[in-house]
Amino acid sequence: MSKLKDRIRAFIVENFLFGKDKNFRDDTSLIDEGIIDSTGVLELVGFLEQEFSIVVEDEELLPENLNSINNVVAYVERKL
Amino acid sequence: MWKENCKQSFGHKAIQKDADILFGRHARREKSICFANPQTLIHHFLEESAQSFPSKIALIHEELRATYAQLNSQANQLAHFLLNQGITRGDRVVLILENCPEYVISYYAILKAGAVAVPLSTDLKPEGLRPLLEELEPRIIISSFRFERLLKAIELSTSGIQSLILKSPKLQWTPEACSIFQLEDLIGSESLSNPNMPIEETALASIIYTSGSTGKPRGVMLSHKNIVANTHSICQYLHLTDSDIQMVVLPFFYVMGKSLLNTHFAVGATVVINNKFAYPASVIKQMVEERVTSFSGVPSTYAYLLHRSPFASYRDKLDSLRYCSQAGGHMSRQIKEQLRNVLPRHTQVYIMYGATEASARLTYLDPESFAHKMDSIGKPIPGVSLKVVHNKGQGIPPGKTGEIVAMGPNIMQGYWKDPRATAKVLDENGYHTGDLGYCDNDGYFFVVGRKDHLLKVGGHRINPQEIEDILMKSELLMEVIVSGVPDALLGYKLVALVAPKTNTCSENVILNHCAEMLPRYKVPGHVKFIKALPKTASGKIDRTLCLELLNKNGI
Repeated sequence: MSKLKDRIRAFIVENFLFGKDKNFRDDTSLIDEGIIDSTGVLELVGFLEQEFSIVVEDEELLPENLNSINNVVAYVERKL
Repeated sequence: MWKENCKQSFGHKAIQKDADILFGRHARREKSICFANPQTLIHHFLEESAQSFPSKIALIHEELRATYAQLNSQANQLAHFLLNQGITRGDRVVLILENCPEYVISYYAILKAGAVAVPLSTDLKPEGLRPLLEELEPRIIISSFRFERLLKAIELSTSGIQSLILKSPKLQWTPEACSIFQLEDLIGSESLSNPNMPIEETALASIIYTSGSTGKPRGVMLSHKNIVANTHSICQYLHLTDSDIQMVVLPFFYVMGKSLLNTHFAVGATVVINNKFAYPASVIKQMVEERVTSFSGVPSTYAYLLHRSPFASYRDKLDSLRYCSQAGGHMSRQIKEQLRNVLPRHTQVYIMYGATEASARLTYLDPESFAHKMDSIGKPIPGVSLKVVHNKGQGIPPGKTGEIVAMGPNIMQGYWKDPRATAKVLDENGYHTGDLGYCDNDGYFFVVGRKDHLLKVGGHRINPQEIEDILMKSELLMEVIVSGVPDALLGYKLVALVAPKTNTCSENVILNHCAEMLPRYKVPGHVKFIKALPKTASGKIDRTLCLELLNKNGI
């Protein structure tokens, strides 16, 4: 599980924080903290689909699935 | 209901006459908005709706539902506080707040106190905020915990800020630099009357920043009269009434978001704030639950809705949706057609055009003309006249391309502390939009491009030079150009073509530098390295050739 979390965090740090981990917490709201915007959400979805061979349905583009590291991890685990 | 109230209170014929005078020959007798005792100042929108519909829900945000009476009462409390702080007419009060009830309360409170509301982008970094505060010399900043780190990075003690008012602060503040207040402490349940300050309708009401052609953001000065006139025109052509419920996903600091707030408060309608458009499914769900009647967006909003949301599958549930409106730049024909096909048949599509310098709106395309004039920005809104001129300001016949120039009571007073920039765009012909376009034989206007290099990226007007300046500040590059390549989602995607000083320079280092100094939407999506930029014969960078290079490489 932590490995999955590490991969997701690494993607966010690399792509949205330009490699600079600002020690944001696992429950930090990615939108409220300005870490990602709507384009970023699509990039995150593209990564999840490719990396974990899952399909993210349009109906699943919800904050409860994608708006924090914890939410993303829980969502991916449900999909696997 | 409101119509009935107006009839009882003021007499319907007199009201209609006022509206006819206001809108000239454009006035329609069947329109449902009425202007008894015409609203002449922006905060009258809130005050009159609070009087007409005190218990009506004005604002919905997450779990909160605020009535007009509540919002007006809280705005009065804050206005009296500002006055007690010594705020006088014309003082600038800066707002750095996300869309929330406190934004609305603060915006109207500032206006009630006779001060100037200066909403700033919530994406600003210290580098961008400092020069704005220097030229604005505001006395008070109203903000929230989200922006505490940003504000801590500013030397408030030397900026002349008298008070900082924070919503739900989380960090420790010492009152050495300026007085610190918690917003919640200032807007309790106490009932205070409208301050009714003597304010002329030509008084400066708001300064809204927009990118200028020199790369420096420009503060657009709008009077009460500018915004009130534009608000009334928009209410008229959209046939807004108190039964409307508007979903707002655009920020209030952006002129279109501000316009959505004022127009709906002017008629006693309801505004639903949803700041989670990045997750469009949640927005659509709320549109169904709240039975919203209108939705508004910029081109990328609709691209996103169409390409990555369950919008189409909700078609049968959107029976309340009266219309969708689009502004903020050119939206491709493909997206317009897709949108029309996805929306329920009863939902109309309004294509609109405007500028911050025009308080928001200049033209709209009547939904009846959507099918056969889809590429048009439509015709001028009530009270506005538009013409196409060539370089020397003379009019151009239909079908010929020139610069679009606008005139009307909504055109700004000028740019804040920038008379030279003002003189470049305002003259006896009106406001020179910088947009190139033409008018057809039926009187419909079409925009074909920008006179300068400004780009629209995801609804933001971006000046490449500003980003180029920041990139050069890194001292890693010899030269750089920033341009836009067409992008289905954003309209344009920012790309930088750079000539680095050394081979060790990486894309990440450059982007990290940008991210430190620029809001996210101004950070290029891609950096392409090149040994040297192509030049013209005179030695200047050849932007056209650069763009060709960028496009050729399939970025």
